[in-house]
Amino acid sequence: MQKPAHIFIDHVSHMYRPPRGREVLALDAVSLEVRQSEFIALLGPSGCGKSTLLYLIGGFLPVEKGEIRVDGKPVAGPGPDRGIVFQHFALFPWKTVRGNVLYGLERQGMAKAERETRAMEYIELVGLHGFEDSYPSQLSGGMKQRAAIARTLAFDPKILLMDEPFGALDAQTRGLMQMELLRIWQRAPKTVIFVTHDVQEAVLLSDRVAVMTARPGRIKTIVDTKFDKNDPDIFKNKTFVEKVDEVWNLVKDEAIKAQGKRSA
Amino acid sequence: MNSDMQTPRNGVPEMLGRLAWTIVWGFARIFSIVALLAAWEILARTGTFTPFQLPALSAVLERIWSDAVSGDLAINAGLTLYRALTGFAICAVLGIAIGMAMSRNVVANWFFDPIVSVGFPMPKIAFLPVVILWLGVYDTAKITMIVVDAIFPVIAATVIAIQGVERELIWSARNMGASKRELLHQVILPAASPQIMTGLQVALPLSLIVAVVAEMLMGGYGLGGAMITAAQFANSTSVFAGIVEIAVIGYVLIKIMVLIRRRLLIWHPEANAPATA
Repeated sequence: MQKPAHIFIDHVSHMYRPPRGREVLALDAVSLEVRQSEFIALLGPSGCGKSTLLYLIGGFLPVEKGEIRVDGKPVAGPGPDRGIVFQHFALFPWKTVRGNVLYGLERQGMAKAERETRAMEYIELVGLHGFEDSYPSQLSGGMKQRAAIARTLAFDPKILLMDEPFGALDAQTRGLMQMELLRIWQRAPKTVIFVTHDVQEAVLLSDRVAVMTARPGRIKTIVDTKFDKNDPDIFKNKTFVEKVDEVWNLVKDEAIKAQGKRSA
Repeated sequence: MNSDMQTPRNGVPEMLGRLAWTIVWGFARIFSIVALLAAWEILARTGTFTPFQLPALSAVLERIWSDAVSGDLAINAGLTLYRALTGFAICAVLGIAIGMAMSRNVVANWFFDPIVSVGFPMPKIAFLPVVILWLGVYDTAKITMIVVDAIFPVIAATVIAIQGVERELIWSARNMGASKRELLHQVILPAASPQIMTGLQVALPLSLIVAVVAEMLMGGYGLGGAMITAAQFANSTSVFAGIVEIAVIGYVLIKIMVLIRRRLLIWHPEANAPATA
């Protein structure tokens, strides 16, 4: 018998209610099972509800229809077992890099000496050594995102929820950060759900890519993208190119649909 | 790096050059004020205006000096400052508390929102006769007038600041295990502090304005009261002395507030930006 899923998403629907105007069906009966230590990408056009799904798993939005279970327990509110990294970092601007990383450890009630050591360990892991006393406003976008990743990794969540974490970065920084994330993940495998609209990024990083439809968001197909990613010339690797092509063809129709809806 | 390497080579001359530049630049920045004061002195001395209409700046400064020596200045300025700052402190504490309550509690919002909507744009000085009837003309009445006037910008700034806190910041804190109680002082207040500070920076000069106006209308000691008394005795030099004193006090208060802001918001990008004169 197969091991029960680590994250179990069963027919989850979600209505988005803007402060003004009609409510919109953002997610329509989404079902997905994620295994332990799996890296899964949620890929889809903007507005398809992929971030909403992530926020539901994180417990930031209430699950109104359907069910989400983590290790068999239904999600009821946010918790440090599911660490989130946001596109716009969401660092506390009034705290230094160190203060940001320490915050989560303080909330866990870790002893002072231990949390200091641990904070520095993770600041070094993401390559921010020497910037621990800088405020976020003094850092570049890439450095802010490194700080945010260090902050989330430091409290050791079993599950990492990443909401387009590299979307706000320039192309070169994004490339470096993707490599960095792969490196970190290979050292300490966690279950990762990674929201993106970048096909290459999704194929490069994840074991499986869940392609979502234009609004209302459904899971269209799941593509297996698990192969050896350690090729230094990965972008020219035949398997990689084929997978990107396959996923791109699946996403293209949805992107066009999403475009059409917006201009209509 | 560059300037460090040049110091031994140019040493003293460069330092003097920099000092000269600082003085020239410092003067250039306050040129308009200096020009205005010079024009004042010239217009008074040439007899364009009578000393009653416009006493010379030098005469006014002499009057300020003699008031300072006699101790009148300390009493009047001290009383005005005491009223303005006490009123301001009450506005700060009460205004932030009401603003926080309004943002976090539906009942408080339902109760206070219409009061703020009507009260903010209204000329609160209209309450002055009522305040005199109820509270008299002493400190309580004057400070009450200040609070009634200057609390609105604090409440409004606090409400807007708290509404503007990014939900991702709150979610991050919740994610790391912050309880709802901890959220308020660990996340919401620090995140809202730049805008709350802006509200306080509006309330402080307002407090001083209302203190002076209330003193003028209610009489007694204080800069405003002293000016009205001087005017009643046709003592125009003392009236102008009061204007200069109030201008200097207002300027110093605002500068102190800017320093406090930079100190408290050292993390904010604006802390690295140059300030105005």
